[in-house]
Amino acid sequence: MLENIGSALDLLFQPARLLALFIGMLAGMVFGMLPGLGGVAAVSILLPFIYLMDGYSGLAMLLGAISVIYTADTITSVLLGAPGSPASAPTAIEGHALAKQGKASLALGVGFLASMVGGLFGALILSVAIPIAGPLVLALGTPELFMFALVGLCFAASMVGKDLALGLAAACFGILLGVIGAAPAAANYRFIFGQSYLMDGLSLPIVALGLFAVAELISMVASGGGIAGQPMALGKWGESFREFWRHRWLICRSSIIGIFGGFVPAVGASASTWIAYGHAMSSTKDKRNFGKGEIRGVASAEGANNATIISDLVPTMLFSVPGGPAAAIFLGALFSFGFYPGPRMVSESPDLMYMIVWSVALASVMGAAICFAVTPYIARLTRVNFALIAAPLLLIMVAGAYQGTQTFGDILALLALGILGWLMKNAGIPRAPVLVGFVLATPMEQYFWLTTQIHGYSWLTRPGVLIIASLIVIPLMLNAVRWLRQRRSVANDPKQQAEAAAASTEPPSHDSSVVLITALVMVAAFGYALVEMLGFRPNARLMPSLGIVPGLLLSLYVLGRQLIRIRHKGNMTNLASRQELPVLGGIVSYGLAIWVIGFNLATPLLLVWLLVGCARMRWGSALLYGLAVYVIAQGMFSMMRLTPPTGALIDLPMPW
Amino acid sequence: MFIPDTKLKTLSAATLMAAGCFAAAPAMAEDFYAGKTIEMVVPFGEGGATYVAAKFLEPFLEQHLPGNPQVNVRTRPGGGSILGANWFQQNAEPNGETILFTTSSTSNPYVLGMDAVEYDLAAMRPAYSLPFGAVVYVSPSTGIESSADLHSSDMPLIYGGIAAAASDLPVLLSFELLELDLRAVLGFDGRGPARLAFERGETNIDFQFTPAYMSQVVDMVEAGTAVPIMTGGSVGDDGVLSARDPAFPDYPSVYEVYEELHGEPPSGVEWDAFQAIGATTFNFGLTAYLPEGTPDEVLEIFEEAITSINADPEYQDKSQEAIGGYDLLPASVVTDSLSESLQPSDEVRDYLRNLLAEKYDVQL
Repeated sequence: MLENIGSALDLLFQPARLLALFIGMLAGMVFGMLPGLGGVAAVSILLPFIYLMDGYSGLAMLLGAISVIYTADTITSVLLGAPGSPASAPTAIEGHALAKQGKASLALGVGFLASMVGGLFGALILSVAIPIAGPLVLALGTPELFMFALVGLCFAASMVGKDLALGLAAACFGILLGVIGAAPAAANYRFIFGQSYLMDGLSLPIVALGLFAVAELISMVASGGGIAGQPMALGKWGESFREFWRHRWLICRSSIIGIFGGFVPAVGASASTWIAYGHAMSSTKDKRNFGKGEIRGVASAEGANNATIISDLVPTMLFSVPGGPAAAIFLGALFSFGFYPGPRMVSESPDLMYMIVWSVALASVMGAAICFAVTPYIARLTRVNFALIAAPLLLIMVAGAYQGTQTFGDILALLALGILGWLMKNAGIPRAPVLVGFVLATPMEQYFWLTTQIHGYSWLTRPGVLIIASLIVIPLMLNAVRWLRQRRSVANDPKQQAEAAAASTEPPSHDSSVVLITALVMVAAFGYALVEMLGFRPNARLMPSLGIVPGLLLSLYVLGRQLIRIRHKGNMTNLASRQELPVLGGIVSYGLAIWVIGFNLATPLLLVWLLVGCARMRWGSALLYGLAVYVIAQGMFSMMRLTPPTGALIDLPMPW
Repeated sequence: MFIPDTKLKTLSAATLMAAGCFAAAPAMAEDFYAGKTIEMVVPFGEGGATYVAAKFLEPFLEQHLPGNPQVNVRTRPGGGSILGANWFQQNAEPNGETILFTTSSTSNPYVLGMDAVEYDLAAMRPAYSLPFGAVVYVSPSTGIESSADLHSSDMPLIYGGIAAAASDLPVLLSFELLELDLRAVLGFDGRGPARLAFERGETNIDFQFTPAYMSQVVDMVEAGTAVPIMTGGSVGDDGVLSARDPAFPDYPSVYEVYEELHGEPPSGVEWDAFQAIGATTFNFGLTAYLPEGTPDEVLEIFEEAITSINADPEYQDKSQEAIGGYDLLPASVVTDSLSESLQPSDEVRDYLRNLLAEKYDVQL
């Protein structure tokens, strides 16, 4: 075994392979940083290229990308507030709040270091656990997988913030989005409106891009300045190292949670990130800072998500059952190079196993180092007028979305979700619960039905189920006890009472009309869904009903509350929201233009509008810059071997 | 191990080119694909079994098709392969430069007449097929040691699958044909998770396609934790699935098991249904379709290329591990039998639709 560790290092330390690993890392970093495009996009773009190399180089390239995604996406999450990939939503919440307080370097530094630790833990687990992890993975049956998804959802729900009704309504809405498509337990297609596009359900990257990135993009273009209201001070790295060291055990525990998340196929990174976040919350005495910039939230989420994506490889290589979408593509690559994952592979090609471990470890460390190095340059970008960055960013998002099925449905879905994300953002409805509800709805439903079909109700007493359930119940009880105690102490202290009262009557600053429209949209969506749901088969109805029934009641409550507020306090106008409307309109028109006249003609119009109209560039420089952006966008399409969306009316052919 | 050796490829390409110059025989076919690019559309995501098989075949097609075209594998996932196939129907030109490479996930909805289907598979011209066999195996805890014991299990049989109208259909039809008493638990993510459930003891009868069987189940059989029972079989000289799967000559086919249990060869609508769906799933498991109206010339070119790929020692060497060692089936072997399977009688179609509706609650 020891000699294998050494010979595997020799295998990797060949210029061509190191170069491949490095190229993979660069691709992984770029795609990690681009909002919404995560590991799947990076790995699927690299995939055609690995066939030009030998097996070890090709795999090293993919591993390089996989290992750094969750390190690099910290940058986007913190600076933009849009999660670089869906499993970084907690980082986007806490890290971005810290960045707004001028502590971006703290959030970033701790995030990079925690990611590195997560990656190293993952590598360690790969090297020691693969020979012994078989029984562990097999011990996690369908009931345990169901419980894991449930725990993830519960911990995410703990994130809903002050306004419980809004948060829960959002989570319900996420479940509603998640159940679109084929029902796992009955032959029912749900909410597909006769469109074959929706048969597979909405794709995760598009939901994440639409809900977060489009809305952020709109508000940043509208505000006219840089990403940060004023020049964002990065600060010094020193503090981040100290904070990292202070929370080292939390990061280790989160990494271990992440590793278990990786053992659970399909539930994976999103659940484990939220569980780690919930753990950080329950292990912190003073919870007031959560949601407002708590470094422990960043540390736990980043430790967990990087550990998960790497330990995803454990079930992949032991059972050829990929733990996540990126691992699925990695599995395909292993097949193509003639490696057939299974218990036998571990004993037959130990060199390959340890080469994988070394690649992951090396990429994790180098990835964090590179992130530290490039962050100052990227932070400078945040001071540039955002309309300049928005142009390439929007095109990348369109290309990323279009990669899904290469039909106009991808762009329509992106736009619709973008409008929804904008409405929710401006109505003060948290979007992270939507994402979590969306991600976990499918595995929860699937494993629930499998569990009851196979085990009846006996599964409730399985030891694994009880252990995982205790993860929900124990913190809940502890919280209840703490809450009671606090209430008693508050009751005795008039000063604290007054503070609490002041906090609860904090006036909402959201535009009344936007809140009203959003509530109406949600009521309409839930109401329609309820009617259609009644026609489903019983096995296809349970999970949607869990989202729709409470969702309808909650959104009705939100609507009623808003109507009362308007009557009592009159209409509240939020100027910022109103200013964003033209930008929203511009982006919607761009979508329509793609449909009518195709990407190739619509994009120059968009560039003119963004660069000259919004960023007030001079025509000369706008033409030059716009041309460069256009060429790069076309280059991205051809790199991904896609033909840009063609128009329904006319289509401008490209010379290539 | 499959590592594309570009140097070797260029060398052999050069040799072929040189040979072409000297021979200068029927010029039409000789350079038909010179300088052209073939787009092989895979209606599934990257990294899936179909993608892997397409990538495996890519260099062999490049090498053996006259004129050495560049072959690009292009994924168009969505709608359980229906979106990609619809795209192909609407966009592919019948010039031999666009191929749809797909599985029974595309043909089953066509056979069943689903609404979303906009493609006419039977009108397309199959260029070649790659068999994709499957083995049914049980857990030793059932007490079943061979196909003869199938009806005398010690415990209720539980089967884990994905969805009745998808790739589980042929196996479920074989259970119907053999009148097996079992409970089908549907809703798994894929065959891999279903196999994990088998390994955990949550289910006790399962099937895997050849590549996964080779890499995962063979070890379990050796360790005594799985007992192989039967294969789907392969199309014999009589044009139906009566022969044994060439990858597993030791295991009986469903046809033989029926014969063994009933003393007569299978017949009737249950058999016809299994035959139609089984043939497209197993024997013509991965099929390359050319658009309707593709000229015979292109088909002849493929016929020759497939014959020479099968004879290529490198293919024989590598296909064993990568795809189960099956020979490619040329169009002359595929066309008639596949076309029959794609257009079953109304009786078979009604039987399938009824079975899916009544037993599995699938409304088509």
